[in-house]
This record gives sequence, C-alpha cells and structure tokens, in this order.
Amino acid sequence: MSDFAGMEELLQDFLLESTELLSDVDNKLVELEKRPNDRALLNDIFRGFHTIKGGAGFLNVAPMVTVCHRTENLFDKLRNSELQLSTKLMDVILDATGAVRDMFTTLSQGPPPATPDPALLAALDAALAGNLEAVVESAPIVAQTSTNEPDWDALHVAVTSSQETHAAAPVASTPTPAAQPAAPVPTSVEVIPASAPVSTPSTAVAPAPKAPVKAASSGGSGSISGQENTIRIDTVRLDQVLNLSGEIGLTKNRLTTLRTEILQGNMETNTLRSLDEAISQLDLLVSDLQNAVMKTRMQPIGRLFQKYPRLARDLARQLGKEVELVITGEETELDKTMIEDLNDPLVHLVRNAVDHGVESPEERIASGKKPQSLVELTAEQVGDHIVIEITDDGKGMNPEVLRRKAIAKGLIDAETANSLDEKQCLQLIFLPGFSTKDQISNVSGRGVGMDVVRTNIQKLNGRIDINSIQGEGTRISISLPLTLAILPVLVVRACNQPFAVPLAMVREIIPIDTTAIQEVSGRPTIVVRDEILPLKTLSGLLNWEATQKPNFGVLMQSAEKSFILAVDSFVGRDDVVIKPLQNIRPKGVAGATLSGDGSVVLVLDMEDLLAGQLDNATAGSIMARNADNYAY
Amino acid sequence: MTDKNLRFLVVDDFSTMRRIVRNLLKELGFTNVDEAEDGQVALHKLKTQHFDFIVSDWNMPNMTGIELLRAVRADAQLKPIPFLMITAEAKRENIIEAATAGASGYIVKPFTAATLEEKMNKIFQNLSK
Repeated sequence: MSDFAGMEELLQDFLLESTELLSDVDNKLVELEKRPNDRALLNDIFRGFHTIKGGAGFLNVAPMVTVCHRTENLFDKLRNSELQLSTKLMDVILDATGAVRDMFTTLSQGPPPATPDPALLAALDAALAGNLEAVVESAPIVAQTSTNEPDWDALHVAVTSSQETHAAAPVASTPTPAAQPAAPVPTSVEVIPASAPVSTPSTAVAPAPKAPVKAASSGGSGSISGQENTIRIDTVRLDQVLNLSGEIGLTKNRLTTLRTEILQGNMETNTLRSLDEAISQLDLLVSDLQNAVMKTRMQPIGRLFQKYPRLARDLARQLGKEVELVITGEETELDKTMIEDLNDPLVHLVRNAVDHGVESPEERIASGKKPQSLVELTAEQVGDHIVIEITDDGKGMNPEVLRRKAIAKGLIDAETANSLDEKQCLQLIFLPGFSTKDQISNVSGRGVGMDVVRTNIQKLNGRIDINSIQGEGTRISISLPLTLAILPVLVVRACNQPFAVPLAMVREIIPIDTTAIQEVSGRPTIVVRDEILPLKTLSGLLNWEATQKPNFGVLMQSAEKSFILAVDSFVGRDDVVIKPLQNIRPKGVAGATLSGDGSVVLVLDMEDLLAGQLDNATAGSIMARNADNYAY
Repeated sequence: MTDKNLRFLVVDDFSTMRRIVRNLLKELGFTNVDEAEDGQVALHKLKTQHFDFIVSDWNMPNMTGIELLRAVRADAQLKPIPFLMITAEAKRENIIEAATAGASGYIVKPFTAATLEEKMNKIFQNLSK
C-alpha cells in the first residue's frame, strides 16, 4: 500500500477513530435536521468528513476519499449558504455516511472497499450542482467525475514555491481502483444491520455494487465474528492495575520470607500474626486487582447509544412519523463484551418503539397528544446492576388484544390465557412467534422477535420487564449485571460431585418431600404455592446414574418456564470466575471454576442443559427414568 | 545536514493523523516529536516547552491551525519557529491566507515522506539564507 511502516496498525487505529467520528457526524446530522442553519453544526460535520478524508488519503482508500470529498464540498456550500438543506439533500448526505460506514466495515475485514456507488456519486454531484431533484428521480447514472475544483495548482505553486501538483490528483481524478467486489464479507455484522434495510428504499437508486455489503449486514442477528478485539483504556486505569500487581508482588515477597521462617521452625505468635496480616492484605489486594482489571473492560454505553438517533430518525421518516429519541446516561459503563451483545436487542427495541410503540402524527393529534412523539433511551447504574430503559409516549399495549392474539396464533390455550393477569398478558409478546402487527411490516416484524431479544438478554444474565399503560406509552426495562467475568452461583451436589448454577436463575430452595411428588401426564411435578412445577433431577438432565434420592429442590426460573432442579444437597453461594473449557464442550457445561478447597466445580449452563433435553429424541425415556427415580 | 534532534510539535485533532505524521518524521530520522490535539493545547505547550519546528493541521476545533499560526507569529518568543501547515484545504484563498499569516511552508494531504522532506529542506534552506 503506502510507503511507511506500521500500516496495518495505523489502519486499525484509523478505523476505530473514524468510526467514532462518523457516529458523531450521524448524530449531528439528526440534530441538523432540527436546526438546518446552525453554523457550528455545519462546521463540525464538514470537519468530520474532512478529517476522515485526510486519513483515508494517507491510507490509499481512494473511494472513501472521493465520497468524503464530495460530501465535504456539499457542507462547504451549505455553510456558505450556497445551498439549502432539503430532505432530499439530507437523504443523499445520509446515504453518503452510510457508504463511508460500509467502507469501514469492508476495510476492517481486509480487502479494500469497492468503488463508490456511481448512483451515490451522481446524487452527490447533482446536489453540489444544485439540481438534486433531477437525478434522484432518474435511473443511476455513472458519475461524471468533474469536480468543481478551481485551478488552484498554479497558484499553489506560485505561493509555496514548490511543485505539489500530485497532491490534488487523487482527489480530482476520482480513481477507479481495481476494487474487488465486496462479496467476501458474509460475516459483516458490525453496526449497520438496522440502517441497511431502512436506507435502501429512501433513494430508489441503490444499485448492485452496494448490495452485497448491505445484504450481508441486514441479516445480522448474530454478533460473534465482526467484533472489535482492540480496546481503548484510560491510562489511569492501567496504572492502577500496574500499581496493584506491584503491591501483590511485595506481599508475595513478605509471604516467602515468612514461609522460610516458619519452615525453619519459628512458630512465634508474632510470626504467625504477620502471616495472618500478609494473607489478609493479599486477600484485599487480589480483590482490588480483580476490580481494577474489570474496570479496564468497562466502556461507556454511549458508544452503542450514539448509533440509535440516526436509526430512529430513518425509520420514523420511512413510516411518516415524527419521533425524537432522547438519550441519557451514555456515560454509564458496562463490560465491553456485553455492550457488543446488547446491540441487536437494543436495535430491535428502538425499532419496535418507533414502529409499534408510537402513533402517527394524525393519530396523536386525534388523541390530544402533540404530533411529535418522544422515545427515551436511558442507562444508569443501580447498585451492582445496570438498568437500561426504553420508554415511548405512544399508545401503549392492550392486554386484552395481546391475550386474544396469543390464543388466535395458538401460542397458548384459552384456559391458560384467561388465567393471566394484565401484567402477565404483556409478557406474552416474548413468546416465540408472537407479532402484534397483522401485516408483517418490513421494519420490525421480521427476523428477530421479542423472544430473541429476551433470550439474548438472558444470555447476559439479564432480565427484561415490560410496563405499559394504554394511551400513555410503554416502558421496557433491561437489568444487567455489571460484568460477566464474575458470576454469583449456587453450588449444589449431585452424583457425589459439586456443580454450580447461576444464582440469577434461582428463586428459592425447597426440601423435597417424596410424597408431594405428583405425576402430571407422566411427568413428576411438585405443587409450590399453587404453582405446578415440573421436577427435573440434575443427574437426569446430565444423563448420569443417580447415586441417591435427591433431598433438595432448587426452584429455578429459566426463560418463560419455572422448574425444580432436584439435587442431592447444596454447598452454598459463591462468586466465581468462569474458566471456559478448552477443546471440549460437554452439553450444558458453561465452564469450570475452582472452589475454595481447590477442587474443580463445573458451572452449568441451564438453558443449554434444558434445550439438550428437549431436543433429544430420547427425551421421553430420560423423563421416564426420572419418573422411575421417584417411583417408590 | 539537518540536526536530527530537532524537537517537533505535531498538531492535529485526529490522533491517527498525528501518528501518520509522526511515522513520516521518524522515517526521515526525526524522533523527538510531541503532539497536541488542537491549537490551544499546542500554544500552551509552545509557551511552556522548547520546540524547533511546528507541523500543524489547519482545520481543528477550539483553535484552528491558522489561528495558531497567527498566535505564534505574534509572540516574540515563538516567532522564529518554522511552521509547516498541513491541510487538505486545496483552495487558493487558503494558500494565500497561510502565506500572509507567515507559514514557512504548505503541504497538502496526502503526502509521502519524500514530499515532507523536500518541504522541510526548503524551509531549512530559507532559514539559513
């Protein structure tokens, strides 16, 4: 590529920094729609494109330079009042930022980005020339690459007494690099999944070259492969880690000295007291270090939130709604991996709020509300949890409608449905296959549903709740642990072995009285406070031979169903660090950890364990065997 | 032969760009480089530390490159420091503006180490005259 060292590393830095910059530009664009003549905003956006262009130039990403250059020129004209902002112009600008973002994604995966979309260039050129209307309506035209550059070269030479003619060349001549089509990027998940299907219809000119990238990203519900694996950390936090590890080193030295003394037979009270002190100190330091290391993984959730105003704006425009997305608490910090895994659920919820939650301006006026609706996205830390809320001031949910819909779709039977209270009716939207719109819109009624949102949140050991008041709006609250690195667990025993289950799923522990076990359709159940709960033995789930009659039942809440996990005995609660198992992945095992006495404890993944059981063709026989265990 | 120990101040709001310039300078053998993310920070550094050469971007928040240049030329202490303006602003009025404000040179992004060296040599030549 270019002729200086450290190119690869630079590229990564460039992508990281520019992506942030572009998100910022995106938000400013949404702002700009409200205040189209704000010079400071225009300047900031101009500078954003300008800066990205500068970096892209050094990294030889010609198509990015081309798109940024034209957009930048557009903003130059806007801030000099040579052009006026119109919705059409805004669409072109947003398409341009979309194109630049797509190029970031392509670049991050290796091959240089494709040639810029000729239709986009044509639209940008038309916008620059001030006759946007003409082109946007017509078929894609290959861009005339005439730029409106003055012939400054001569002057430049005159002023600076040097020849620099080549400098302008990359910009003015719109190179068509030997760009490979952007095909080999099926794994692009990144940040665009939501905006992709939205932005395409807004300009009926998206031709083939754009398609592969967009198609790949629009499918994105998974988010494993394309994640960033670099992280930016405040040096203060790193220094803290360094400092603590230094102190641990000193304490270790102290312990070594004490060990020598003790081994030599010095058992004086003073020595033992020093040993006690040193160990206490080590205890403290280690937990401080754990905290400090965890802090290095914490990132402000604003990184995620900043993508949504644009998303809400695009969607609202497409649906003919007026929506303002207000964000608070963007500085709230959350474990980096969780932030990435939160994107899909949050995108879905924001889209839901705009699509299903809020009404059209006409409906709103009819019901005495102001035409513009408000969607709030907030994050805050509450104790050792992070609470994220999405609130809209829309029409709210009608529990009756939800109830009828669930019955009509055959998701629950009428009898069960009628026993649900209003709050429980709201929970129905989490059932797989539930969609409240009769017609599947191309906006949120496709791909992931609320059931997937809930599953994703639960994977993060989080909880999701709904509150809705008819006519006033809906609030969806997500509660998440601060980090996944440390997991509170309940340690139980079965088959003479300890196992850990996530404490978040545990509701209570009950003794198992064999006489209380009832068979319902051939399956063992226990009635706890009028609730009929299936009884599953841990040994049965693991497909192991039971060594004794289970004494205790752990009442667990997993997804929408509760059940009782029968275990031999239990040890207690503990905060553990999960070590993933290398190479092997037994069904239902999330990882392993060490208990205080040094023995290995398997940490169970209950969802996996239960799913395995249900998917298993022999489920019936296992169930039968479970039942046998109680058949005395 | 230019003194390779010259102390440079690279001013740009985009950290990737500062690294690029730093890398280019390193390629030319100049390793004594400090950075500032805008004109204000740069001016503060210039007033509190010693620098032999300023390489600055034009378009920056808070205080632009041209404002920095004017401030430097208006300061009796800082006045003699060579000032190379880096920018993608490829417009005639900009070049004239930079020249009249007292820029020692003007370089347009993107550029190579060779171009940078050429620019710098020209500036050093002018200085020694």
